[in-house]
Amino acid sequence: MSTIAETASRGQTRRRMRVDGWRWAGRIFLVFMLLYTALPMIWMLITSIKSGFAATQFPPQWWPDEPTLASYQKLLDPQNSVGQDFLRFFWNSLFVSTVTTILSVIVAVPAAYAFSRFSFPGRNFLFFAVLLRNMFPAVIFLVPLFILMRVLGLMNTHGSLILTYLTFGLPLAIWLLKGFYDNIPVQLEQAARIDGATRFQAFIMIVMPLSTPGIIATAIYSFIGAWNEYIYAYTFLSKNDQLTLPVGIQRFFSENTTDFPGLMAASFMMSVPVVVLFLILQRYFVRALTEGAVKH
Amino acid sequence: MAPPVRSDEQGHATVTIVTGKAEARRRLQPGRSGTLRKIWEHRADYAYVLPAIAVMLMVIAYPIYYTIELSFFKTPPGLQLRDKTFIGFDNYTAILTSQVFWKVTWNTLIWTLGSTFISFVLGFATALALHRDFIGRGVLRAILIIPWVISAVAASYIWKWIYHSDFGIIGAVLVGLGLADRPPNFIDNVSTVLPSLIVVNIWREFPFAMIMMMAGLQTVPDQLLRAAKVDGASAWQRFWHVTFPHLRNVSVVTMLLLAVANFNSFIIPWIMTGGGPSNASHIWITHIYELAFGRQRWGVASAYSVLLFLILMTLGYFYVRALSGNERNEGSA
Amino acid sequence: MAHVVLKDLVKTYGGFKAVNDVSLTVNDGEFVALVGPSGCGKTTTLNLVAGLVPITSGDIVIGDRVVNDLDPKDRDIAMVFQNYALYPQKSVYKNLAFPLQMRKLPRDEIDKKVKEAARVLDMTHLLERKPRELSGGQQQRVALGRALVRDPAVFLMDEPLSNLDAKLRVQMRSELKRFHQDLKATIIYVTHDQLEAVTMADRMAVMNGGYLQQYDSPAQVFAHPVNMFVASFIGSPAMSLIPLEASAANGDTVLTSAEGWSLKLSRLNARKVQRATTKKVVLGARHSTIKLHKSEVSSAIPAKAFTVEPTGDVTFVQAFLSGAIVNISVSPNIAVAPDEQIWLEFDQERMHLFDGETEMALKAD
Repeated sequence: MSTIAETASRGQTRRRMRVDGWRWAGRIFLVFMLLYTALPMIWMLITSIKSGFAATQFPPQWWPDEPTLASYQKLLDPQNSVGQDFLRFFWNSLFVSTVTTILSVIVAVPAAYAFSRFSFPGRNFLFFAVLLRNMFPAVIFLVPLFILMRVLGLMNTHGSLILTYLTFGLPLAIWLLKGFYDNIPVQLEQAARIDGATRFQAFIMIVMPLSTPGIIATAIYSFIGAWNEYIYAYTFLSKNDQLTLPVGIQRFFSENTTDFPGLMAASFMMSVPVVVLFLILQRYFVRALTEGAVKH
Repeated sequence: MAPPVRSDEQGHATVTIVTGKAEARRRLQPGRSGTLRKIWEHRADYAYVLPAIAVMLMVIAYPIYYTIELSFFKTPPGLQLRDKTFIGFDNYTAILTSQVFWKVTWNTLIWTLGSTFISFVLGFATALALHRDFIGRGVLRAILIIPWVISAVAASYIWKWIYHSDFGIIGAVLVGLGLADRPPNFIDNVSTVLPSLIVVNIWREFPFAMIMMMAGLQTVPDQLLRAAKVDGASAWQRFWHVTFPHLRNVSVVTMLLLAVANFNSFIIPWIMTGGGPSNASHIWITHIYELAFGRQRWGVASAYSVLLFLILMTLGYFYVRALSGNERNEGSA
Repeated sequence: MAHVVLKDLVKTYGGFKAVNDVSLTVNDGEFVALVGPSGCGKTTTLNLVAGLVPITSGDIVIGDRVVNDLDPKDRDIAMVFQNYALYPQKSVYKNLAFPLQMRKLPRDEIDKKVKEAARVLDMTHLLERKPRELSGGQQQRVALGRALVRDPAVFLMDEPLSNLDAKLRVQMRSELKRFHQDLKATIIYVTHDQLEAVTMADRMAVMNGGYLQQYDSPAQVFAHPVNMFVASFIGSPAMSLIPLEASAANGDTVLTSAEGWSLKLSRLNARKVQRATTKKVVLGARHSTIKLHKSEVSSAIPAKAFTVEPTGDVTFVQAFLSGAIVNISVSPNIAVAPDEQIWLEFDQERMHLFDGETEMALKAD
């Protein structure tokens, strides 16, 4: 009797140990991934509060002897030429990203709705054409777009970027939104139409409010995509006062190759808007991506 | 069941006008007039997609056409395109016989496969580790996603500083631990530059795989896992026989999306090394960019683009197949 | 209220005919059920009447208007959906008010009508809730209320009870019937559950494969199904259908089974069988018209009990005859065991005979 009980309890312990083994492996792995993810960002922050001299020490100062916000002050000071440039770039990025986002939503919402609800001839073809756009690298479009922009007289304007980013972001935006519309029962619109709404009213009054999370998610994606875009901005813009942040920073620091605290501070400042946006709205952000990709 | 009893009474031939959802039953359409008629009947539906299509046509269809055209011409520097001359497939033969091409292709292969595979494995593993609820899970997840959100330009500079040959922190740590005599030169070294850049790329990309796989994990039916547990399957067996097969489609889509993104990446190698040293970190995209905008060889760059295009079409085919495979499974479930 | 006429209604999707020449009239104040298995075209028919799907050909008349090309909003109809289709972001009050707002009624009138509907349906206390905070039955009631406030000419209902649990379904069934009687409303009701149709409808339209099979009162459909499909679809457990062969012997008409036994037909039934296109005849019998004997009786056919299902007030016995399943109901105090030898006696007056080729019911004249 006692032996059986003993065996049973030993089996229990072994079982628990095996389960715990997996759990511990998972925890250790997560710690490793956390370090991999966070340490570079932490090092960026630490460097950004060093003086230029402190940053170029060997061995490095793990924590600066004299922490200073000088780099940030320089970047944000409108009196200073560096600050003027940086604020200018920042404003340009904000402008381009915001306009792109608004236009994306305006164009993507009806398109996604149509792809989700209607079945007109060529619907599947068009939808896959839109999706396939995502497969092609910027470079393929770069040369002809470069020429197209010259023809349209949009070289060195923000219009060239907005137009390009719009097409860049549209496929994903349409895809994400379609996922949302697919999940809204068609009976709701039918009910609305029977209740006296036209098709358009049903869309505006019933479907639109329900797809707000999707629209928010789409907007964040467009914004972040436009904010971080580099290659078109790098190619289309050459005048200093037009540059967006990624290009502007690169221009600036290819001239000042040793100002690492400044570079780190600028990288940090450039990341702040998108990271804040992401942290506030991450619920929608993650959901949208997965609704599109996983559920249908 | 019983045949429709009234068929003999109503046996007269009805001329059917094709309307409505053709996708429900795709049959041969009765001639062109049927299709035109359908298009006409759905004219209102097109209004919804028209803005999107118009923008796409202008900024996508035209460039694709133009790239293909240009790939058959020799273009003088400076983009006076009136002066281009037709040279047939010369650009293509020039590419395929050049040494740089094979070097760059090899780099692209390593870069794409390495980044994709490792990002996916790390992302999947993280998703699994995060699947069980614990205190601080939400915060941890948010932190892990941040690298994916921030600009690749910022990421490139951060890592460039970390890899710095004189003041880089990794070098300092290695020296401090006595593992190296002096800080190693990561990105100015032909043999270490590509792996070093891949580490940066994975840093930015594994969160994407993580999000996708987390969402996939949520769709694994609890009942199946419980049934497997009752049947005596161990944690590993449950993963291998239930979870993993269930996630096959999501995995394929995720890997394809990663592969395409990696194949198309530009910023990290461009900013961190510019393709150097001696082409060791040049991949297709950076090489094309340099050909076009650095050396103004538009014809060759276009030919490169067309080749790239063909490769991506192949990948795209599998992508669409994986997507519709997803749909099929949903339908049968 | 108004009557509804469907005339030669056709709906095709590509090459697929979902609705085939359906013609029927729903009288003013009548409760008509469209019933059939899934995919039979009943929901499509309802959507055609609602105007949610464009018709391919034929006519739809509501009241005295041909509504073929009218938008749903202009057809003066209300619809209750299977999943209720309550607007999730609106409160119950706003859900009920929405159809009135769309008709631009003055605010105080909307308020009056909504409160009246809420009172009738006993849900005044729920007005400020959101649909997701309601139980299934309550949601169902709100959906009904939203149809009710409008005072439409016709109510269309698409399987409104199928998402409810069994107990609630029975309760809502009687409420709906009450609702119909009180309002004298014209109702077209789609269901796959023949029991709902039989219990509630004045007339039922049985559909299959896009064709209207039979359109009559439940009692008539039950007593005189026009073909084998209707016979097997209406009634539970299903009517037993036994394939047999007709032959003449000594001036009598006899149905013979491949198993060897035969059944002598009454004069009336013999006349029916003579009208069959071939010798193949299918005998149909409802469970209550078959008498089960535990010992041999002259006119009864030997069989073996296969399963025995006591339900309390009645026990169902299943047996096989000529390869067909035969359902018999017996009083619970008759004990039958599986595999026991039994004898089955068919009631000549209440049996159905079908042509084995065309599957149509055979008639005497």
